[in-house]
Amino acid sequence: MREAPTLYQRRIVIGAGICVIAFALVGIRLVHVSLLKGWDAGRAHAPIVARADLTDRNGELLARDLPVKDLYARPKFFADPAGAAEGLAAATGASARRLEKAFRTAKHAYVLVARQITPDDEAKVMQLGLPGLEFEPSAKRYYPDGRTAAQVTGVTDLDNNGISGLELGLQPEIHAAAARGHERGQVATSIDMRVQYILAHELEQARQTFTAKAAGGIVMDVKTGEILGMVSLPDFDPNQRGLAPGDSRRNIMAQDVYELGSVFKIFSFTMALDDHTLNLNEVFPINRDYKVGRYTIHEAERMPATLAARDVLAQSSNIGTSQIVLRSGAQVQRAFLDHMGLLKPVETDLPESARPLYPAIKNWGQIETATIGFGQGISVSPLSFVTAAAEVVNGGRRITPTFLRQNGKDRRGEQVISHETSVKMRDLLRYVVTSGSGKKADIEGYDVGGKTGSAQVPGPNGRYLPRALRTSFFAVFPAHQPRYIVYVLMDQPHGTKATAGFALAGWTAAPAAGRVIERIAPLLGVPKQSEPTRLARDTTQQQDGAQPVSASESP
Amino acid sequence: MVRVINFFCVALMGLTILALYHVSERTRDARLELARVNHEITRQHSDIAVLETEWQHVAAPGRIQQLAEAHLGMSDNASAQLSSFDMLPRRGDAAALNNTPLRNANAVLPANPPGATAAVSTITTPASGM
Repeated sequence: MREAPTLYQRRIVIGAGICVIAFALVGIRLVHVSLLKGWDAGRAHAPIVARADLTDRNGELLARDLPVKDLYARPKFFADPAGAAEGLAAATGASARRLEKAFRTAKHAYVLVARQITPDDEAKVMQLGLPGLEFEPSAKRYYPDGRTAAQVTGVTDLDNNGISGLELGLQPEIHAAAARGHERGQVATSIDMRVQYILAHELEQARQTFTAKAAGGIVMDVKTGEILGMVSLPDFDPNQRGLAPGDSRRNIMAQDVYELGSVFKIFSFTMALDDHTLNLNEVFPINRDYKVGRYTIHEAERMPATLAARDVLAQSSNIGTSQIVLRSGAQVQRAFLDHMGLLKPVETDLPESARPLYPAIKNWGQIETATIGFGQGISVSPLSFVTAAAEVVNGGRRITPTFLRQNGKDRRGEQVISHETSVKMRDLLRYVVTSGSGKKADIEGYDVGGKTGSAQVPGPNGRYLPRALRTSFFAVFPAHQPRYIVYVLMDQPHGTKATAGFALAGWTAAPAAGRVIERIAPLLGVPKQSEPTRLARDTTQQQDGAQPVSASESP
Repeated sequence: MVRVINFFCVALMGLTILALYHVSERTRDARLELARVNHEITRQHSDIAVLETEWQHVAAPGRIQQLAEAHLGMSDNASAQLSSFDMLPRRGDAAALNNTPLRNANAVLPANPPGATAAVSTITTPASGM
């Protein structure tokens, strides 16, 4: 039989137990300190950046958060609140009166002095030697290219939330990219800053030359739907909170709708060719006045007595186009325009969009069919027009414009019009440039196709303003194998000596589009000396200039 | 024997406490150093971000164009200034470029450009022009 442990033995067991527990605790602590705690000891500070960078398609910065500081003051530490307010106002640009009032009547311990102050201002504040100041790290959105892409990138508010343009439209992507990892995230847009700059530069020059009220342009890839450039003038400086005189935050290419005039004839011809109601070899009589019900459609300039179908487009004849669209009728025309996406707002990454204006079904009669055929009586946004026109030339397939880089992915969808019609339209557009109203956009070697549009401008009372035109030019290049669209719009340009007083699209918008193509084509890798299209090879020399459109009620 | 074991255990515990304290201190120092380095990295990243933005600002196409026009006498006549290697004639080509003129850089120079010699205009390939 085993004896009971003695007192000493019990003490030894208890002591050993305590030692084991102590060693276990030490071991646990050792593991905790050396292994577990070590992982989170060096965790990086949360970055100040709240929004990812916006870049162009080549990685050039469009927008970035820069570290700034918000300045707070604790008024109870100020011996002389008025003096402190004055000093802080001088250093930060804040209102001295507001600060003094806030310091005297502060309900909270802290008073916001100024937000997003720069390091220079911070240094000035520090020189004041005031007690009770605190700097809170913050971020300010900065746009290094300033005005060049202001309308597209948009801006953020003081809390760094996007309020317009891609800053708002791509906000989920920007936040998601910023939240990924410790590195500064980036969202690559489809914009090419080289193209954007060239477009802005040429449009600004054209706007000054022709003293136009506004101007805008779009460059789009017809297969990917990527918008490489979008300019709206007047623009604004996104790095300034306020607007300078004459500036505008409105993106006229996406937010506004216009009667675009004769560029709309593209759709009339597309519809007729797709419906097989038009033979390009047939000849149309071009009477002096063309009656549609009690209305008379007339040309603004003298036209030959007859025009071949392709010359109706090349010379931009309203009467010829009216005859063509009236063969299809109102129902077919409405269905076709709807099918092309022209009767609803275009959906893009831009939050800005515009609802098109067009007659109700019951009011869409013969005269409306005729005028809509040449671009009057229907108002669409330029972006919407460009999207539909891209479908005409890209092989006839659906395309949705995008402002996100697609890395060359062909995004064309279902067939909207037949491929055969698309090929014919490319030839026709090339013919307009070689032998019609778009000659001034014919850039040697780039096989430019296009269409002019000189629309009358409605006044406040709904009547068209005298001698006021909204000119535009739609260009596609290379026409035989389209890759890019360049669209230029000018609001109320004025003729110059060099244009003999003409302000039509052929004199104002077409040359600007041509210059843009001439400058961007080499940068975009479009080979020069493209093969001419079939119709371009047998062109005949005809007169310059587009025809303004008009339809008036007969007396 | 028991006393020896007790003494050994206590001594071992003391040594372990000292070692643990040493490790703890080193860990604390390392943590501070890591925080300092991380802070420095964050600061450097911020500085780089500012410098990149500044570079983007000064290298903006508009600014480059202004400087090129003002100081180099260059114009934006781009399509004639850019070409590809494919267009250059190879040695021995009988009729390079199908006898079409080869256009060279043709920047329009100002009247008295600094250090410039002459404007270069259209030239023809030897096969076609000579």
